Amino acid sequence: MTELSVLNAEHQAGRAAALRCEGITKAFQGVHAVNGAAFDVPQGQITALIGPNGAGKTTVVNILSGAMNSDGGREFIGETEVTNWPSYKIARLGLMRTFQLSRELGGLTVLENLLVAPADQAGESLVNLLFRPGLIRDQEREHAERALQVLEIYGLYPLRDNRARELSGGQKKLLEIARAVMASPKILLLDEPMAGVNPALIERIGGYILDLKESGVTVLMVEHNLNVVEQICDYVIVLAEGRTLATGRLSELRENAEVVKAYLGEVIDASALH
Amino acid sequence: MVYYVFTLVFFLFDYFILAMGLNIQYGETGILNFAYIGFVAIGAYFTGVFSLPSSANTGQHYILGLGLPFPINLLLGGVAAMCFALLVALITLRRLRTDYLAIVLISLSLVLYDFCNNYVSLFNGADGLYNVPEPFAKTLGLTVNSFIPFFACVTAVVSLLMWFVMSRVTRAPMGRTFRAIRDDHVVAAALGKNVFWMQLKSMLIGSFYAGIGGGLLIQFGGSFNPTAWLPGETFVVFAVLIVGGAGNNIGMFVGALLVETLLVHLPAFLPEIPGHPGLIEYFDLALVGIVLMAMLWFRPQGVVPERLRRTASFGVVERAAVQPADGQ
Repeated sequence: MTELSVLNAEHQAGRAAALRCEGITKAFQGVHAVNGAAFDVPQGQITALIGPNGAGKTTVVNILSGAMNSDGGREFIGETEVTNWPSYKIARLGLMRTFQLSRELGGLTVLENLLVAPADQAGESLVNLLFRPGLIRDQEREHAERALQVLEIYGLYPLRDNRARELSGGQKKLLEIARAVMASPKILLLDEPMAGVNPALIERIGGYILDLKESGVTVLMVEHNLNVVEQICDYVIVLAEGRTLATGRLSELRENAEVVKAYLGEVIDASALH
Repeated sequence: MVYYVFTLVFFLFDYFILAMGLNIQYGETGILNFAYIGFVAIGAYFTGVFSLPSSANTGQHYILGLGLPFPINLLLGGVAAMCFALLVALITLRRLRTDYLAIVLISLSLVLYDFCNNYVSLFNGADGLYNVPEPFAKTLGLTVNSFIPFFACVTAVVSLLMWFVMSRVTRAPMGRTFRAIRDDHVVAAALGKNVFWMQLKSMLIGSFYAGIGGGLLIQFGGSFNPTAWLPGETFVVFAVLIVGGAGNNIGMFVGALLVETLLVHLPAFLPEIPGHPGLIEYFDLALVGIVLMAMLWFRPQGVVPERLRRTASFGVVERAAVQPADGQ
């Protein structure tokens, strides 16, 4: 048994996979961005997806969330195969995501950004609009109250009536997470939630992610900051050149020469990952 | 004088309807529908052929000729525009976005124009439809002069009803989802919104408004031919929308007042410039272009900008505000 398969076996023995991908491939004009990535994301845990720049992390997140179709391989949410499903269908299964570069709905207020998120809104139906305005009003009030609570938790309440495009970079990161939370996700994909964020806010976002885990949400986060990974992530998946190089705990992976080499090039000393 | 004033009133309210239809498509949902005038034409032609008697012995060539009364013919004209929108949306919306969608739509508009202009047995070709019955003229004994104020008032009532319905749509979660798609369709889809389905709804609603606006045009003038819907006319409706303020229904009324009524139609009623007979009539589109450029340069949000939907409008109790936490 190779070191990688040992790690995978240990990893899989622990918990059922909330999210699973098998041999995903994706090429852009002949360049293989993802080349057979395969891993499980355990239920109710925080898993980090790490790897050097160009390893295919964001492409994998885009494929898992349905924003991009894969060329090959299979993806599962629980037991349901969702290979190349459109993102709205995947979202309706409870998988939400944030983006590497924050993508707020700039023309909407902060509160409205959250109000877009709940599923099955009566007010999206023309029939309800014309004949059941009371139902819509009640549901809107209910959603607005919950959204305000979420905004309070994330420290965005005072900005609720500002247009989202007016927020700072850090506030936009928080807004994206709050918006995803508003949709009551089962699985949350976070694409570099700490990128470009000051240390104080990194700590807060880390706390929010731990709170989400406590509430039963499965988290898969792309992250370069290994200190953050060390502090909050239960498992780590290492991607390199579009393949899964290793999975396991960060402390174990630090001793893995292949991982060290992939992350830092022709290195030498595993202590560089510390 | 009464004729002039009520003609302006008619165009004000008719373009208010047309601009609301384009606003839900472009201002709210971000669909750059450069074929909009084609949907107006479909509404006008079908209202006409639903209203006209059978084409035998009329000297015209057209389909249907059902002789239906107002407003049934008008509603069916709106539905015909929706059916055309469904066809167009199925072809275009699934795969195309932004500029590619706009190019395909403007091409479709040109194809439709040539088709209607040359396929005479459809809507009487280049001559278009004429002698379309004036609504209620016989029942109420209206003369040519009294019909114009009457129908301008009918159009005003129809437009206010349609404004009421449109306000409900744009204030509701449906409108919010449209705006989410406009701002970032990838995010909207990632939040579980079926972008194609929502864009289709927006296209259908907007096209119904286009059809009704077109239907009122043919009922008011009694005729409609290809010179009334040259593809460039779409840009007059866009000018109404941009000047008024995209994303705001009241802005559409202001835009219709400033662009369609004051810039496009009023010059035709102004006295001639001495030594240059007929020149003033050609000022309209030049003026529209100048105003459009000025607005885009100095006030791109329009005269009446899109309104923010503040917390209070959701009927919830707001807590005392505290400052956002540091370090954001």
